[in-house]
Amino acid sequence: MISIENLTVRFGGVVALDHIGAEFSANVSGLIGPNGAGKTTTMNVISGFLDAHNGHVIVEGTDLVKLAPHKRVQWGLRRSFQKEQIANDLTVRENLMAITDHLRGARADKRADLERAAEFAGVTAILDKMGRDLNTFERRLTDVARCVIGHPKMIMFDEPAGGLTPEETERLGDLILGINDLTGAKVLVIDHDVELIERICAETLVLDFGKRVAFGPTSEVLRDPAVQAAYLGIEVEEEHA
Amino acid sequence: MRSTTNTIWAVFGLALILVLPAFAGGQWIKIFTSTTTFAMAAAGAGFLYTRLGMVSLVQVGLMGVGGWVTLRLNHAFNFPFEINLMVAGAVTMFLGNLIALPALRMRGLYLALITLMFAAGLDIVFTAKQFPNGAAGFWGVGTTFAADMRRPLLAQSDAAYLRYTMVWLVIGFVLIELHRRMAPGRAWALIRKSEAAALASGVNVTLYKTWAFGLSGLLAGLGGGLLAGSLGLLDSATFRASESVMLFALVIVGGARFWYGAVIAAVLFRVVPGLLNNWGVDADLSLVIFGAALLHAVMTAPDGLAGQINGAVRALIPGAKSDKKGAKA
Repeated sequence: MISIENLTVRFGGVVALDHIGAEFSANVSGLIGPNGAGKTTTMNVISGFLDAHNGHVIVEGTDLVKLAPHKRVQWGLRRSFQKEQIANDLTVRENLMAITDHLRGARADKRADLERAAEFAGVTAILDKMGRDLNTFERRLTDVARCVIGHPKMIMFDEPAGGLTPEETERLGDLILGINDLTGAKVLVIDHDVELIERICAETLVLDFGKRVAFGPTSEVLRDPAVQAAYLGIEVEEEHA
Repeated sequence: MRSTTNTIWAVFGLALILVLPAFAGGQWIKIFTSTTTFAMAAAGAGFLYTRLGMVSLVQVGLMGVGGWVTLRLNHAFNFPFEINLMVAGAVTMFLGNLIALPALRMRGLYLALITLMFAAGLDIVFTAKQFPNGAAGFWGVGTTFAADMRRPLLAQSDAAYLRYTMVWLVIGFVLIELHRRMAPGRAWALIRKSEAAALASGVNVTLYKTWAFGLSGLLAGLGGGLLAGSLGLLDSATFRASESVMLFALVIVGGARFWYGAVIAAVLFRVVPGLLNNWGVDADLSLVIFGAALLHAVMTAPDGLAGQINGAVRALIPGAKSDKKGAKA
């Protein structure tokens, strides 16, 4: 269970997140909203890059907001970025090791964990390839491997399907659906691709202008007239016509 | 193959350590020794630049601190040379950590300016207080004094001391390479990519930035201490802030991604002025040459002369796979 309570973020006079609350119990949940709705801000607060003005993010009894960013990773938080962050001058293996380096555990366990994550994401064959030589999809897959390594408890994907072909998006969706079986982690996905969200997310939170518009099972949420008005650009009147 | 290229370099380095001190004569042996000590400082600046993208313009200033501490301890106590050198390295490592503090908040040009301010501050202290030469008191400077500088037991003669310094330089390169291959190197690569990426990977950015500056400071301090051991007396003119800027510029010319780039930088820094002197040309002409070389590097050779050498070696040795990583440093 990922429980977001009363989360508020202000940039000067601008309220980027206004008392957001939601309890995600699904294995994979979605977070959608138009540009500037506060999706990435939410993710950055949970990662610890931004300080919350108010509120809590409680996962398995731990309030993440109270931990330093790197401690959150040690606790089991993983995330990807809109623009993937694979170090060019490291190999894929080294990019993965860069995460296990900072976790507790025996070296042999970490190596086995790395192999398992690479196998899951399908990057075993390119483990010794340099970051700079990877194509867009390989970078995404490496990102997925980075997220599932080291026994994560919560994983966030920020627009993982950006720049991918429909086939690649589908494969990525399958991977994300498999994460909970592999690691037991809860997954939160931000994306503009409503089809992807509909397919993989059981529950979805919709934000607009930093406010919660709707939250619940994805199919219901997407049918909500307020969501359609805010996000899908469909006028509410048309619904009644 | 990587290993082949590295073996060639290792053999070449070993040959140089054995042969150079035996054949270099008189004044040149001192020049090569000081070149080696500056190569250590250059290696520190180079790795900081390539691995973390941070510019340190205080390396030569830190060398001065290392030299000061070594001289101070030498004249105050009866410790062996190595102890003095280690203490000097520890002091400059700590100063490096201190300089890293602003680095946590600033980057790019602003960070470079902060390090330059440090260098200018050290410059003023050196000019005002000079270096200990055996006189009484904390600053230990006397006009007629010139007490003995004890050298390591292993390296009493100039030739042996050059060899000794070169071994320290190799230790410095190995230290950098070990860091690159292990957790700190990976953490640094992420920090260079973006601090957000590093944080999201669980990297303690504060710790690893401080660590990098500390390592760079350590290398500068050891270089300064070794220089003090070579000359016995140090002069504040050696450690001016402008020298730090010059050394950094030459690190770019030499090629910061490769360990031999640091050697090339130091050779340009120390040997070229010496050569010009030998030929009866004003050594300041070297500044013009360095300026032209910097323009050349910035415009056509992003990996400096070392990058070009690496490219040439790859072209000459069939099968030598692209060494994009930069073999060392």
